[in-house]
Amino acid sequence: MTDKPPATKGVNVGIGEYHIGQSLMTSIGLGSCVALILHDNKHSMGAVAHIMLPESNGKKERPGKFADTAIPTLYAELLKQGSNKRDITAKIAGGSSMFKQFKGNLDIGGRNVEAIKKALEEYRIPLVAEDVGGNVGRSITYDPAKKGIISVRRADGTCIDI
Amino acid sequence: MELNETQLDAMKELGNIGASHAATSLSTMLMSEIEMTVPEARIVDIADISEYFGDEISALVVFEIQGELHPGGYVVLHLPKKSAIRLTNTMLGSTDMDREFNEMDESALLEVGNIMVSQFLDATATLLGIVMLPSPPAIAIDMAHAAFANVVSMVAVDINQIILFRTELKSKMHDIESTIVMLPDEGTLEQILKILEDLVKSPQ
Repeated sequence: MTDKPPATKGVNVGIGEYHIGQSLMTSIGLGSCVALILHDNKHSMGAVAHIMLPESNGKKERPGKFADTAIPTLYAELLKQGSNKRDITAKIAGGSSMFKQFKGNLDIGGRNVEAIKKALEEYRIPLVAEDVGGNVGRSITYDPAKKGIISVRRADGTCIDI
Repeated sequence: MELNETQLDAMKELGNIGASHAATSLSTMLMSEIEMTVPEARIVDIADISEYFGDEISALVVFEIQGELHPGGYVVLHLPKKSAIRLTNTMLGSTDMDREFNEMDESALLEVGNIMVSQFLDATATLLGIVMLPSPPAIAIDMAHAAFANVVSMVAVDINQIILFRTELKSKMHDIESTIVMLPDEGTLEQILKILEDLVKSPQ
């Protein structure tokens, strides 16, 4: 446990939060959580949600927290900001199973990924890239100005762009 | 979820008793003195969790609280990677610091966690007059904030603030730092507070 990390550039999207805009966004400490990025390449704009759980069961106060509320919220907000449906693509990262002893219903990471994919299909948003599953934690950086490329830093030290 | 000062103090005292028993067992295992910080009780919004746990690669040994309170919540033993390797080196008689975690390390850490957290829960439960037992442990070696968030997602389905009780335990002799974190389920916390309140009220 450490004190607050030094302020990094851009907006950090904490667990259960979401952010929309044209500036740099990060999401750190993705374990079973999943970062969902909706990118509008035409307007160099996008949205990030740090999703914690698959189902909201009717809870509305933090739409970024659940897969089934995050996707409609981000999608509607992007359309409101002037995006066209056909310009929006999705990428996801995270959803690992860090504790191999937690299986089935406790594999929240796997359930998150499944729920997100299902919701993306429902909204007909193409999922163009993913780095999910396994047993490593991840942090992501998304710069809407850079064609929606997501840098993923994994706990094992490897970095990839998706 | 809100706790007043008296309730936070009562919970800190409870954490203090649990942590001192865990410290004693660690001290016995390492045959060294253990320094313990004053337990901290803090209400943290789930969105801010990564600020309390850094991205340092760490070992997190996790136990579900089982027994009379159900669902009980979790107790986590957290050791930064270097401390974790020093700890297992001390136990296994090795001096090689420059190595990766192997299965021996993992099982040693599971065992240390088991002993410490059993002591922690047993002391706490005895004071409360209830039964609390640790589940079999789970372990992750990963970025501390990511692994901890994984545990939080198991208690924070309906809530957006969690209550963290944490105590640091250090061995100067072996340069080992560890932290015990208790993450009670909301219902469990309410029950614990009720029991504590009754304890204070009842004539001695």
